[in-house]
Amino acid sequence: MRKRISLAMAAAMALSVSAVGSMPVMAADVSITIFNSKMEIQSQMEEMAAEYSEAKGVDVEVYYSNDTVAAHLGTRYASNDPYTISMVDAKDIYSLGAEHAVDLSGEQWVEDTTEEIAIDGAVYGFPVCVEARGLIYNADAIEAITGETFDPTAYATLDSFKELLATLVEGGMESPVAIMKEDWSLAGHFLAEVYEEQEDVDAFITSLHEGSADLINNAKFNAKMDYFDTMMENNYAKDSAIAAEREVSEMMLAEGQVAFMFGGNWDWAVINAYDYSENMGIMPVPQNTEDGTNTKLEGGGSKYFFIDNSENTSEEQVQAAKDFLNWLVYEEDGQDFIVNKCALVPAYSNITLEVADPLGASVKGFADAGNLIPNYNYLPDDHYSICGGFMQKYLAGQSDRETLASEIEGYWSSTTPVEH
Amino acid sequence: MKKNTMSYKTSQFLMFAGPAAVLFIGVVVFPFIYGLYLTFTSWDGVSREKPFAGLANYIAAFQDGAYWQALGRTMIYSVIAVIFVNVVAFLLAYLVTSGIKGQNFFRAGFFIPNLIGGIVLGYVWKFVFNRALVSIGTAIGSGALSTSWLATTNGAMACLIIVSVWQYAGYMMLIYVAGFMSVSKSLMEAAQIDGCTQSQSTWYVTVPLMRASFVQCLFLTITRCFMVYDVNLSLTNGEPFGSSVMAAMHVYNSAFTYRRYGAGQAEALILFIVCAIVGVTQVYVGKKGEVAA
Repeated sequence: MRKRISLAMAAAMALSVSAVGSMPVMAADVSITIFNSKMEIQSQMEEMAAEYSEAKGVDVEVYYSNDTVAAHLGTRYASNDPYTISMVDAKDIYSLGAEHAVDLSGEQWVEDTTEEIAIDGAVYGFPVCVEARGLIYNADAIEAITGETFDPTAYATLDSFKELLATLVEGGMESPVAIMKEDWSLAGHFLAEVYEEQEDVDAFITSLHEGSADLINNAKFNAKMDYFDTMMENNYAKDSAIAAEREVSEMMLAEGQVAFMFGGNWDWAVINAYDYSENMGIMPVPQNTEDGTNTKLEGGGSKYFFIDNSENTSEEQVQAAKDFLNWLVYEEDGQDFIVNKCALVPAYSNITLEVADPLGASVKGFADAGNLIPNYNYLPDDHYSICGGFMQKYLAGQSDRETLASEIEGYWSSTTPVEH
Repeated sequence: MKKNTMSYKTSQFLMFAGPAAVLFIGVVVFPFIYGLYLTFTSWDGVSREKPFAGLANYIAAFQDGAYWQALGRTMIYSVIAVIFVNVVAFLLAYLVTSGIKGQNFFRAGFFIPNLIGGIVLGYVWKFVFNRALVSIGTAIGSGALSTSWLATTNGAMACLIIVSVWQYAGYMMLIYVAGFMSVSKSLMEAAQIDGCTQSQSTWYVTVPLMRASFVQCLFLTITRCFMVYDVNLSLTNGEPFGSSVMAAMHVYNSAFTYRRYGAGQAEALILFIVCAIVGVTQVYVGKKGEVAA
């Protein structure tokens, strides 16, 4: 008798467990997977997925990987198990889009953004947000010494910026600057500005590749390097510049021990981990130039979603994925997710929510006024690490401007520019 | 039952070695052959097409100056690290078999670094080199310590070697301890009766008899040093200015970061061949002179 009861109990338990297990599947007949490559919003993405699944009846799973985007997607494609939606960088859309992505040209959001990525007239990349680079400042730290309200537009030229630095040093802030030594920052972000601010970027890259660029006599290169030299002189980690850790630099900037650091609005994710000052922002890199580039930030769409077009993704899944993208742009919850939950700057003109973080607000100001110099998305994959090495050597004081210029030229003459 | 038939032998083989053979073929032989095939393509790692490229990847690998620099650097690192790991391990083993108080505790203690994964180890030591040592250096006003070693070319290499020695010495110590224990006490006593001092009997009796331990330890350390990746990644990440990129890291970057999968695979194959040659030669030479007790 006892045996029978226990058998019945086991059966009942098995039934109830399987019922619980199968319930979500019954509620959601379509399930999609999203690959997130923006580590700082992973927890927000997961929460959003749970809420979205419940509200829309579409089962959403979010994944993250520490690998590079290309390496991770490569393994997924190799095992015939691609994500429905993948978040990648602009360059990945150019290299993967035509082969792997669904054509989104007919979608409504294409009308409301200028940052979408199209190849041969077909839109493949949905811009997730706008990000821009420039000089991050801590206005509270500056004002505490100068006693005046800090107006970044007054320091567009390097000469005026140098005066400000001298005032700060005199006022007791011995080293008002931090420099990130990471190769992606030095070459991927800073050196890239030398290319992006040329009149004709493609022609300039071609001339670098063909060896006719004469970088050392290039006005833009020299203007940027003059700025860089000034930063190096005022670097808090001057004696050991390439041992400076990003977290320490960002903390010092957040807490006002230094006043300036070259970076972008993504740095907010690090800064807000510390006891930060609200009164921060991003300003253009000061340069002695007449071409107006010292009134603009560099940037544009950053991180793109694409939808997989392989036979592994059914039509229902593609539709669900398209609906999800529309939800992000046109529904209140979706907009709230981008702007408030993730603190990203939206890439869509119909989204009018106020950007929460000060760096993002700065970027939005420049973007709305049309003052963003577009990213150059065709740098070869090894550019940031190889040229980053040259920049690090310069930062460490182990090379000079001429060596740096010839090293960069050497890199370009030995590489093949990305076709586009 | 006849034990000499083919089918009997086959079934015996399948029963005992079959599962292992299937696994070995599945996870070693097959991927190796597939990898070999990929070296003849210009695959980028993601694309569906794997265009045939002939020997282009091998030519590119032989012309890739950065790769040969990385390989040369790996050689230097390996030679120094192998020597230090084995010397330290041998001395530790000698200490913890000499009958000092609490020797089991010391054995465990020296072995523990090996239980910490390379990535974690790298981050821990990065903190030590970048912060702890620098703070101490600044406090005592020592010039050599007040800037981070990781910021200089030679310093970064030294840091990698120090961490590797710290990590592997404990493991190799265990093998040497086993070697010490395997030498029978009677031989030592005989040597001492013949008038050997303690150090003489160690040098002339024990060490030759534990030659197998040396062969094993050298093989393990050489192959591990050549393949170093995890500590390299978390401790220096190739910095400063790409001067501490070891061969394995260069291969990974080529294949995945720079998206030249075929070229990276070809470089990996060259690394494999170099390792195999060094490893096999070392074992062959080592085994040849082995003496039996």
